[in-house]
Amino acid sequence: MSYGRVVLSAFLTMLLMLFVAADLVLFGVLPLNSIVVTILPLAGLVLGAVLAIMARKRQSAGAAPAQTAAV
Amino acid sequence: MKLRYLSLGAVALGFVIGGSASHANADVPGGSGCEGSAVWLEDGLTIVAETDGGPYTIPRSDTVRWEGSVTDAPGVYSGSVTVELPPPFGEVEIDSWSGDSESTSNSGEHEYDFPSLVPAGVEFSVNGEHIDENGGCSGTIAFEIDGGPFDSPIAPISLGGTALFAILTGLALKPLFMKVI
Repeated sequence: MSYGRVVLSAFLTMLLMLFVAADLVLFGVLPLNSIVVTILPLAGLVLGAVLAIMARKRQSAGAAPAQTAAV
Repeated sequence: MKLRYLSLGAVALGFVIGGSASHANADVPGGSGCEGSAVWLEDGLTIVAETDGGPYTIPRSDTVRWEGSVTDAPGVYSGSVTVELPPPFGEVEIDSWSGDSESTSNSGEHEYDFPSLVPAGVEFSVNGEHIDENGGCSGTIAFEIDGGPFDSPIAPISLGGTALFAILTGLALKPLFMKVI
């Protein structure tokens, strides 16, 4: 998984959390002026990047034994 | 759209101005002795600005009879009505006023009809502020439009966006969910 993929994952997770925040407002869970509406997309940005890095490491860990077996 | 929000803002705190008269206001922090009230003629809802901040559930369309006053002739005055947005966006001004008046009260009726795009059941805070030569006052009232989330097309669109980006995020993070050999 490339760094570009990490950025893409972070961006997509941010948008996902933005829509989740919008859902929470639209369904009356949060008031419009809630700070949570701001925090959720930012948390999504960080979470997406972290998950993407974890996925990258996981992919690398999976690829290494496969290369060893091939040799 | 602005006019529709204006109607809400106007009725919100009785922060209403007209002609040369001063406008109503909440008798909240400040020194102008502001008072304001509003009655929804069809719904029957009555709000006295100085008693409660809500949240109030208001109908999507109605006619509001409002009145407001200050204790002394305001002289040079100014004020505004704003809707609070999530931080860091602050507030969006939906109405403002200024002038020079000796009148201490004003009243009127305002008919409003929010379009279906404005979501129901969403709590939003309307702030009002008034400053004149005797001081100033301000207040906040929370409103939500009567109805459910699916009264507006915004909710299905938002749910669709959530589903779409959940799928895209899942695809982008696919290696995380795959079994490592």
